[in-house]
Amino acid sequence: MNAVAARTTGAFGAALTEARRAWRWPATLATAAFVVALFAPLVLSRIQTQELAAWLYLALAAIGLAFAVGLAGMPSLCEGAFMAVGAFTAAQLRSKAGADPVSATIAGAALATAAGALLGIAFVRLGRVLFAVATWLVAWLVALSLAAFPELSGGARGLPIRAGAFTETIHYELALVLVALAALVFFAIARGAPGLALAALRVRPPAARVLGVPATRLRLGAFVASAGIGGLAGALAVQLAGIADPAGYGPFLSFKLFAAVLLGGAATALGPLAGLAAISALFHIAHWIGNLENVSTTRFEPMIAAALLLFVLGIGGGGIVPWLRRFVPARTATIEASPAPPPRRFAGATFAAAGIRKSFGGLAALVDLSLTAEPGTIVALIGPNGSGKTTALRIFSGTLVSDGGRLTLDGAPLIADTTTERVRSGVARTLQRTAVFDELTALENVLVGAGLERGYGGAIRSALATPKERAETERLRGEALDILDLVGLRAAASTPAAHLSSSDQRLTMLAAALATRPRVLLLDEPAAGGSAEDVARLARLLDALRGDGLTIVLVEHNLRLVSAVAERVVVLDGGRTIADGPPAEVAREPTVRDAYLGTHRL
Amino acid sequence: MSLALQIVITGLAAGGVYGVVAIGYTLIYRLTGVVQLALGEFIALAVFGTLLVAAGTGPVTQTSVGAARFVLALAVGLAICIAAGVLTYALAIKPYLDRGSTIGWVAVTVAIAFAIRAAVSAVFERPSYVFPDPFPFRDIGRGGVVTIAGASIQVRAFFVIALAVALAALANWTLERTRVGRGLQAIAADSEGAQVVGIPVDRLVAGAFGLAGALAAVLAIAAAPSAPFDVDTATLLGVKGLVAAVIVGFGSPWLAFAAGVALGLVESTIASASISGAQLGPSYREVLPIAVALAVVALRSRREERLEFE
Repeated sequence: MNAVAARTTGAFGAALTEARRAWRWPATLATAAFVVALFAPLVLSRIQTQELAAWLYLALAAIGLAFAVGLAGMPSLCEGAFMAVGAFTAAQLRSKAGADPVSATIAGAALATAAGALLGIAFVRLGRVLFAVATWLVAWLVALSLAAFPELSGGARGLPIRAGAFTETIHYELALVLVALAALVFFAIARGAPGLALAALRVRPPAARVLGVPATRLRLGAFVASAGIGGLAGALAVQLAGIADPAGYGPFLSFKLFAAVLLGGAATALGPLAGLAAISALFHIAHWIGNLENVSTTRFEPMIAAALLLFVLGIGGGGIVPWLRRFVPARTATIEASPAPPPRRFAGATFAAAGIRKSFGGLAALVDLSLTAEPGTIVALIGPNGSGKTTALRIFSGTLVSDGGRLTLDGAPLIADTTTERVRSGVARTLQRTAVFDELTALENVLVGAGLERGYGGAIRSALATPKERAETERLRGEALDILDLVGLRAAASTPAAHLSSSDQRLTMLAAALATRPRVLLLDEPAAGGSAEDVARLARLLDALRGDGLTIVLVEHNLRLVSAVAERVVVLDGGRTIADGPPAEVAREPTVRDAYLGTHRL
Repeated sequence: MSLALQIVITGLAAGGVYGVVAIGYTLIYRLTGVVQLALGEFIALAVFGTLLVAAGTGPVTQTSVGAARFVLALAVGLAICIAAGVLTYALAIKPYLDRGSTIGWVAVTVAIAFAIRAAVSAVFERPSYVFPDPFPFRDIGRGGVVTIAGASIQVRAFFVIALAVALAALANWTLERTRVGRGLQAIAADSEGAQVVGIPVDRLVAGAFGLAGALAAVLAIAAAPSAPFDVDTATLLGVKGLVAAVIVGFGSPWLAFAAGVALGLVESTIASASISGAQLGPSYREVLPIAVALAVVALRSRREERLEFE
């Protein structure tokens, strides 16, 4: 018991220390603003308190939307529809079934969450364009349903809700706490492991997927969160207003929230608040001018929101909060030099492909490809452009399904069909073109690969920063640094990947693939575009990895590298294997010389 | 029988308009990968631009506009619509396409949609407007309504159907048979390749953005006098054209047109259909097709995943 207490105290102390180190003056400012805001009802009139509370509920929905738009990069245009689901569920339960405020709110949020899960399962696999179209149609579907079914929405007059136990002040304090909580959770997730994986997914989905980032699951989680928070906000907002008015829940609400998130800075916790504040401030200014001139300005609100968004996007802005952030001193990443890292052992596995076939339309891309790679060896797959090399790697890594044939790892069949599962079973691959995550540092790039291994990295654990999660983060960070050391990039650990040379970017990709702890490493032209020195460095690295016992399959055009490192070479031409053997033997084959038209020499 | 005929003609007339709007979405999507979410509002620009020149913002009777003035008004309305389309592409969409920012152009198109809505409803303050009719349809039959096999049908409906087919054929003919059309097809197949062989990609795509709206607007204006018109009418045309285009996966202009016509027929059927005695009624007319389109997208999403990858 004492030991547990001591451990808890220790973990708590460590958390405090880290929080103190991470603390910046904007955090002080935000905390102070929150505390001051808590006491605002003391000096505000009831009407003012009510208006502020309504605004905060809208802000809550905007933060919810930021989970989908900002964290997962999904252009969701139906946040207003989720608010409507929460709002009208709560309103129906309150006015028709006589439910109490708490259970009506919970039911509204729950139904919106369920709607989000249903729509998410249907749509998160879509590309961004069709996702935007689908969510836009959902916004219309809900708005038109409210208009078409007055028994549901109360028609033009709306659904009145009789006053409950919640006063304006209670609503206000509740809204404030919920907004702060949502922003904190957003912040913790964005900074933690899921945030890293989501950032990778946002920037380069294909590169994230070959590192085993579970794209569908993460996107679904973000979308469901946005739905649930939106529903909660809607359910509370109608009870505050005392009426659920269908006119307020049209597609414009969805657009306004979307605009607020983009205006403020999509990937930041306080961005939605800043964006919504900017929109509301302009509305108020317009009303004030309108009152002077005796014109109603309500109908100009869409134009104001649209113009503001067009302006901010037009000047190329990432939003208000990222702009303000330039005035905050950047976090100086301290990467302490560790003592000589232990030699890293990679446990290789025998990778075998037998009779792999694939055709696209009528075109045979691969005909009966068979290949075996033993631990501690490098097998090279070469051939002219279009000979099927990359197709083979895609089939090996699970991003493409073959028409026939068998893949085995240490004799066990590889049948897992998602890329994530393939990576988890120990087959990792790098992409042909350079595909680092530009916004992340070299270390963070590697950590994306390491994320798969996490046992404690879920969104909830990240948000709560549990001791186990923190310990694991420390350990994975150490390992990622060791891997960077192995590829010779430790000094660049805190450099944003965009600033690395292209050959260092390729090494970063390779390091990220190594962080998934592969047993078989599939490399797609790692030497492309590199100088002689880069190629020599790569050859030394591959040699070291082989020495560690890793199984490597190398697709490469640089035949100098191939003959320097590979034990065995398989030559493809037009999808057929035309030669297979040690490099020196293969080089003597006349068919191989023909295939290369004498332009390359082995 | 009489009811069925009425349903079919009404449905075809409405569906023809949806179909031509759907052609606009399809054309733009295939050229650029952009779904122009403000297409309905571009139609509103043309319709209300025409109305402004023809009759101002006051109350209109169907007979009060002369032919010459109407032609001028139509020219102005379409010019506004085309200019808006071209400018939207050049200034607001292309920058995000070049950057590969889907969220950027999605935001811009929706923003432009709401800006146009606000602008139009600021100038045209009444809840709805009667659109002037340049053709003397009201002189045929009883006030423009004829009775065929017991069904009362607006004569204008036949005109709208014929014009819709003509416009769809014109769009298709332009794509298949003209130099510009072949250029557009080349861009749709391979935009970079088209650029390399000297096709003025930007100019053609900008033109397509303008014409996609104008094409649909011509038909919307032809159909407008048959019922009171407001900015929501145009927005809903945009939504329904989108539904039609989505259902056939932005496949081809003719497919999109066919889907639009089918949507019109389905809507008019739903409006007067009953399932096991319970009247479905007009409430479901707006809602069911969108739900179906969403289901179609969901079913197609598995295939999409592999396409998005690499």
